[in-house]
Amino acid sequence: MTHGEGPVVHDPSTLPSDDNVNPYAFCVDLDGQWFLQKGKMIAYYGQIDFHAIGHGPLDHLVAANFHSPLHAAAWVVAQGRGKMLLADRAYDINSYDLEDGNLTIRSGNLLAFQPGLALKQSIIPGFLTLIGTGKFVAASNGAVHFVEPPIRVDPQALVGWADCPSPCHHYDHAYMRGVLGGIRALTGIGGTSGEEHQFEFTGAGQVLLQSTEQLMPAADTGGVPGSAGPGVPGRP
Amino acid sequence: MAFTRVNSKLVEARVVPGRRMFSQRGAMLAYRGAVTFTPSITGGQGGVMSMIGRRVANEATPLMIVEGDGLVMFGHGGHHIHTVDLTGETLYVEADRLLAFDGSLAQGTMFMGSQGGVMGVMRGQVTGQGLFTTTLQGKGSVAVMAHGGVFELPVTPGRPVHVDPQAYVAHRGEVRNKLATAVGWREMVGRGSGEAFQLELSGQGTVYVQASEEKL
Repeated sequence: MTHGEGPVVHDPSTLPSDDNVNPYAFCVDLDGQWFLQKGKMIAYYGQIDFHAIGHGPLDHLVAANFHSPLHAAAWVVAQGRGKMLLADRAYDINSYDLEDGNLTIRSGNLLAFQPGLALKQSIIPGFLTLIGTGKFVAASNGAVHFVEPPIRVDPQALVGWADCPSPCHHYDHAYMRGVLGGIRALTGIGGTSGEEHQFEFTGAGQVLLQSTEQLMPAADTGGVPGSAGPGVPGRP
Repeated sequence: MAFTRVNSKLVEARVVPGRRMFSQRGAMLAYRGAVTFTPSITGGQGGVMSMIGRRVANEATPLMIVEGDGLVMFGHGGHHIHTVDLTGETLYVEADRLLAFDGSLAQGTMFMGSQGGVMGVMRGQVTGQGLFTTTLQGKGSVAVMAHGGVFELPVTPGRPVHVDPQAYVAHRGEVRNKLATAVGWREMVGRGSGEAFQLELSGQGTVYVQASEEKL
């Protein structure tokens, strides 16, 4: 990034290949297929078709790489050749490479992934697991920070985890003990610290943490003109 | 015991036994080791009288006591974080901008009118500080939240600094602080420049300014 100069003008040849354009936008050098969440594509160059999952000529691909009926309506397959830009409400965007690995991520944070990865629903509600080899793109509220277990994480600050550290709940009841704790428990005077409950990770692996405890709010995923959100012409 | 900056919105603090820290409730993002988080009933340091003082002054922000042995990561609301290391001087800051601070710092409440009388009260209204502001004095570190990045402007004798009241975050040192008005007939008829009020800071110290006119 350069400072003090005018805006950077990109064309298809200067757009980065599978890399960030700036902290908030990612450019996919598409030659084949990518899975992406609806509404996260902001622009593209080239010849790209977007196929809804379940009604396209790509059933074979979907059968091999997409195992989440719960999220099928929110995802599409982009097929073709070109440069495709992804972004999500100016949140920080990062890409990650998995090599024969696994990573579990909050479902709203995942933007797109390469078909080398298989998407599955995690047994933890609200999370998705990616298994295999390939690149994926995820958004977070504030930059992502990698930490190693053992660690306890605020539930809202958790983005995901890789390589299977065992995630579990941790409740801190120490502050309820003693005379003051008893009064607090009975009357509510003194309040809570808001930090009585964390997710605890132990074992080998990586935990992904975002820089704030505010979750990205759920967003509508695309739609036809008329039912789509603001900014789309054709509203009745 | 300083904060280690992880990125612009995340700081890491080392907690050692016997030295407590205060932080805004809910601002912990992750921790390692044996650390406990206890709500501070009195909202900071001092006894019940200090608490009443803060409540009356509307400078009572929900704080918690962080104790134990380990590493704690703090961040809140996606705000940018700026750390200030104090070596004996006083930091003047709004209580709701405090993310975390060392327990070694003495926490106080200052009446805005004590710096400039009626104009001080007026200044508090314009900056959104209200009638009172929080002071932290001693040796230690403070993590302050701001909207947009924070930069420091030095204030030296004879070279006052003018700051938009909405972009003002905090100041430290021997800084006098006065509201400069440029209200003319244009403001009266609603055709003002939008910059009718400025804070003029003079003396010796530092003022912290955020790169945004949005309050927290």
